[in-house]
Amino acid sequence: MNSQPISRRTVLRGLGTAVALPWLEAMAPVAAVAGQAPSKSPLRMAFFYVPNGVHMPAWKPEKTGTGFDLPAILQPLAKHKDNLLVISGLAQDKGRANGDGPGDHARALGSFLTGAQPFKTDGANIRLGVSVDQVAAEHVGKHTRLPSLELGIDRGPQSGNCDSGYSCVYSANISWRNETMPMSKEINPRLVFERLFGGDSDESSSTGSAAARRRKYRLSVLDYVDEDARRLAQRLGSADKRKLDEYMTAVRDIETRITRLETPTERPRSSAAAPSYPRPTGIPTDYQQHVRLMADLLALAFQGDVTRVATFMFANEGSNRSYSFIDVPEGHHDLSHHGNDDAKQAKIQKINTFHTQLFGYFLDRLASVKEGDGTILDHSMIVYGSGIGDGNRHNHDDLPVLLVGKGNGTIRSGRHIEYDQETPMNNLYLSMLERVGIAREKLGDSNGRLSNLDS
Amino acid sequence: MSITHAAAIAIAFACLAAPARGQEAPKPAAAPISGNMAYKDRIRPLLDRYCLGCHSGEKPKADLDLAKFNDGDSVFKGLETWELVLDYVESGEMPPKDKPQPSAMEREAIVAWITAQLAQVDCTKSNPGRVTMRRLNKVEYNNTVRDLLAVDIRAGDDFPSDDVGYGFDNIGDVLTLPPILMEKYLAAAQKIAELAIVTDEPSAGPIAAVEGSKIKAEPGATVAPDGSIVFASNSTAKLEFQAPKAGDYIFRVRAFAQQAGTETARMGLVRDGKPLRAFRVDAVDGATFPYEHKIRLPEGKVSLGVAFLNDYYNEKAPAEKRDRNLLVEKIEIQGPAETEVRNLPRSHRQIMIPRKPGATESEYRRAILENLAYRAFRRTPTPDELDRLAGLATMVQKDGGRFEEGIQLALQAILVSPHFLFKVEVDRRPRNPAVDLAFPISDFELATRLSYFLWSSMPDRELLDLARDKKLSDEKVLLAQVKRMIADRKSNQFVENFAGQWLQLRNLENIQPDKKQFPEFDESLRSAMQKEAEMFFSTIMKEDRSILEFLDANWTVVNARLARFYGIPFSRNGGTAIREQYRKVDLPDDRRGGILTMASTLTVTSNPTRTSPVKRGKWVLEQLLGTPPPPPPPNVPELEDQEGKLTGTLRQKMEQHRANPNCAVCHSKLDPLGFGLENFDAVGKWRDKDAGAPIDPSGELPGGKRFAGPKELRNILLERKDDFSRCLTEKMLTYALGRGLEYKDKCVVDQITATLARQDHKFQVLVTEIVKSDPFRKRNAKGRD
Repeated sequence: MNSQPISRRTVLRGLGTAVALPWLEAMAPVAAVAGQAPSKSPLRMAFFYVPNGVHMPAWKPEKTGTGFDLPAILQPLAKHKDNLLVISGLAQDKGRANGDGPGDHARALGSFLTGAQPFKTDGANIRLGVSVDQVAAEHVGKHTRLPSLELGIDRGPQSGNCDSGYSCVYSANISWRNETMPMSKEINPRLVFERLFGGDSDESSSTGSAAARRRKYRLSVLDYVDEDARRLAQRLGSADKRKLDEYMTAVRDIETRITRLETPTERPRSSAAAPSYPRPTGIPTDYQQHVRLMADLLALAFQGDVTRVATFMFANEGSNRSYSFIDVPEGHHDLSHHGNDDAKQAKIQKINTFHTQLFGYFLDRLASVKEGDGTILDHSMIVYGSGIGDGNRHNHDDLPVLLVGKGNGTIRSGRHIEYDQETPMNNLYLSMLERVGIAREKLGDSNGRLSNLDS
Repeated sequence: MSITHAAAIAIAFACLAAPARGQEAPKPAAAPISGNMAYKDRIRPLLDRYCLGCHSGEKPKADLDLAKFNDGDSVFKGLETWELVLDYVESGEMPPKDKPQPSAMEREAIVAWITAQLAQVDCTKSNPGRVTMRRLNKVEYNNTVRDLLAVDIRAGDDFPSDDVGYGFDNIGDVLTLPPILMEKYLAAAQKIAELAIVTDEPSAGPIAAVEGSKIKAEPGATVAPDGSIVFASNSTAKLEFQAPKAGDYIFRVRAFAQQAGTETARMGLVRDGKPLRAFRVDAVDGATFPYEHKIRLPEGKVSLGVAFLNDYYNEKAPAEKRDRNLLVEKIEIQGPAETEVRNLPRSHRQIMIPRKPGATESEYRRAILENLAYRAFRRTPTPDELDRLAGLATMVQKDGGRFEEGIQLALQAILVSPHFLFKVEVDRRPRNPAVDLAFPISDFELATRLSYFLWSSMPDRELLDLARDKKLSDEKVLLAQVKRMIADRKSNQFVENFAGQWLQLRNLENIQPDKKQFPEFDESLRSAMQKEAEMFFSTIMKEDRSILEFLDANWTVVNARLARFYGIPFSRNGGTAIREQYRKVDLPDDRRGGILTMASTLTVTSNPTRTSPVKRGKWVLEQLLGTPPPPPPPNVPELEDQEGKLTGTLRQKMEQHRANPNCAVCHSKLDPLGFGLENFDAVGKWRDKDAGAPIDPSGELPGGKRFAGPKELRNILLERKDDFSRCLTEKMLTYALGRGLEYKDKCVVDQITATLARQDHKFQVLVTEIVKSDPFRKRNAKGRD
């Protein structure tokens, strides 16, 4: 067992200042647990989102192909250049008004993983489309204890309307299970940890007869409430029934999860054993520590094969967060309407670069864990990007997009590819789904797959 | 796109953008000016001439395509749009000044026709709409668990954020239930049930083993120093026990027997020479069993004894079947037992109601579950529900669990049941289906609406019992309950949740003013700002003051810190104490007054490093006047490219922006309101200069109204009190119902605002009028919404 350096714990409580050790090194026990060596390494998928677009002149490499350059915002990823695929030219058309008027921020996030036009409403009839991560989760999720993991930093807005007549639901949720069901994100590292590795009351936290009895009781409770719901459904109108359907779907989801634990042949390979990673105590007040902690947890989840699919939001779309700790005290959204002011653009670039640094930290974690014939990063496909190009123009074409990781040898990374303008972003997703064994022909507004990711 | 398009406009005008029209009794449409004929002959030609140039075609201005309205009836498919058109044409804002203007008569004709057409919304017919079944949000969940079980662990804090719609987080359509939330409900239910109900045995008290020296045996029995006794033949061994105090004791004999003959060995327990109880001792060597008898003892000495009752000896039998003996390993006296005086938590005592004398265990279980489910489901539970809950509880007992553990599991099921998590309203038939669209919701459902409206929590027993007795729907009873509820401490939840969202105070915690520019801003100031607004609201509510005081007042509520920040005098004895440290004080000048000039609202509408006149203007229009500007044009990017770089001071830059007529449409409404508040910096502190230059807080609103500074701006808002009271009515009705308002709600809103105006705009009139209204007390039948 590794001993825990005190400074680590302090950092986790949000009190420390710097992190010296690569945190994953201390996590050997998980590797031991997870190391029931699979014949082939599982392929992971994650989607990282940054709001308000990026300063494109400092993002887009001038050269394409393997000899591509790394502009300032991508510099922090230099170490991972070989694993980097910079993809230019993609558009998310459904982020555009298409007759719906203003609301580019809500649409940028809403469309980002769905390729669907959010229905413009402040409440009634919320409708979007299934997101790529959830399509993947539905298929590969059965191999892991959690089908997918939705992470973020900002909680949902507390009041007010978020963007020109769009409910806040669109600017706070990147992952959609179906047209009407956003997958709420978890922002509290303590709760993420408990979900991944079992809290005190988790149904899968241990084996033995006590745990079996707990599972039995939990299933009885679920049976009871399912019966309640079925009887109730007969007495309700259609809108209410839809709400109850959500309820029943959630009940079945968890039933399935518990039942799988009871069946040895179907039991997920992942272990619920908590790693020697210190249990987080809550939400760090420091943004950078918060992001790093979440990145660590996601890396742990991939490492222990607790899940293979994840989303991560650096902030809600339209976020006006102040980054005063890197000398950018202005609000992010406020700045992003830079009006071509050089000083403002420089500050935007600073925020963008800070985000890629943090992203680089996550990549470091994945690259540091050996697995089978390579590292976890080799066995991953990590998308990083925004649904807006330039924050000032609110454009939804030529988006900033990275695809990182070798996808189990199916992606020839270390390149900059420029696709024709207006190539649907969702074509990329179809290509990714194909790589995890999902032969889907259409997702949102896709019109094909991206060619030459592997050639 | 047409549906989306119409919806977009509807939404942008969520506060039904209408000056108080139609307050007069609804009248049937006047034939000559309304209808299809009039539209075709007189109105459409006017629209063609003055409006369709911009508002039609591929890319209609403001995304408003009037060409698609081909006949008069089509107005009914776009009522909100026409309400909007009416506003613009009537106020003269449209057509724009640089475009051909209709004559006064033409303008009047358009206005009259639209008004007549809109008046056909029939206010004589009740059309309360349908509220989509709402689940409890995080706040409501926490409060409900606290009030139901007296357990305050705020499990809801760990749930994912509730999404917001129409400005509030209690909207049924928006509150979804993803699997992660169900996961959390289950975990929370288990944790809560374990906290609420104590399952360990009451302690039976200290155990004393009796030493051999204290035991006196008759012949036939032998006592060893360790207290063990061998009974070779029938005899009694006695001891004297000194009970330290009166109470329940356990007289326990750990024994086994060597068996012989046909009978099992028998052992008797004796008190003061009288037999207490006899046991068959079937335990054998190596498996000593504790034989116990409960005795109630007074304080003082008592004589206890153990007797062997059926000695047996048969020398002809084989050795192992020859001799029956009783062997006592140890005698223990345990006690006194803790009685019910032990410190059980209130939650436990509340759930484990006293058992009726003579009630069987199963009757008792049912009584407990009935009492619990009545409050948790906010209605009388059905026998079937009780059967199923009892089934869960007995299953646990069959597995060897205790009675209380069974109740725990039933409680878990209750806490995850849709009847607990949702505010269920079941469908009924209207009393007269041929005429009525709607039916009154049940008294229980009404109690639930009421308590989540004013307390963000479950109904208390008084409300539930009134509902059960079908008295709550009686208007007099209902209104008395509203008064009681407002006076109750729990109405602070209405302040935190309604005012917190209406005024957007909740966003204050996410605002990060630049520390360098605003060193004064810290957590204690943030908290004082928020409390000021909440207590101000609460004072108006509890003292039943006029809602117009929100727009301007000569008093506010501050603590020492905020008073210093505002630069107003504060003393521990001045004003009226509201809560610890906070006092209601008179304002010394007219710089501030009402919610518009509070540090909280001014900070929430600013950026971290600067004020935002646009955000402030938008806040006034949306939250106070209910007349949001038309949204910015969808093609903003090109516009910004045209502009190039803006230069000069903030106000100058904004004026350049407004020089573009596309921008001016909105910004001539937004910006002046914000300029009027420029004396307040980004954390709401008074300033006379910005970056060295004097502040110019004057402005001119569309229509030519001028003001010189914040006081005059407030006066102008006060002149628009009808708009304000309509807007507040709409916000509160949205919150009370948990749904967005629709066009058909206009009748109710009209009626409430009219009543408010007649009754001095008193706050509690607004609340009671909402509670009395059809949308609050009724529900459209299935398929009639």
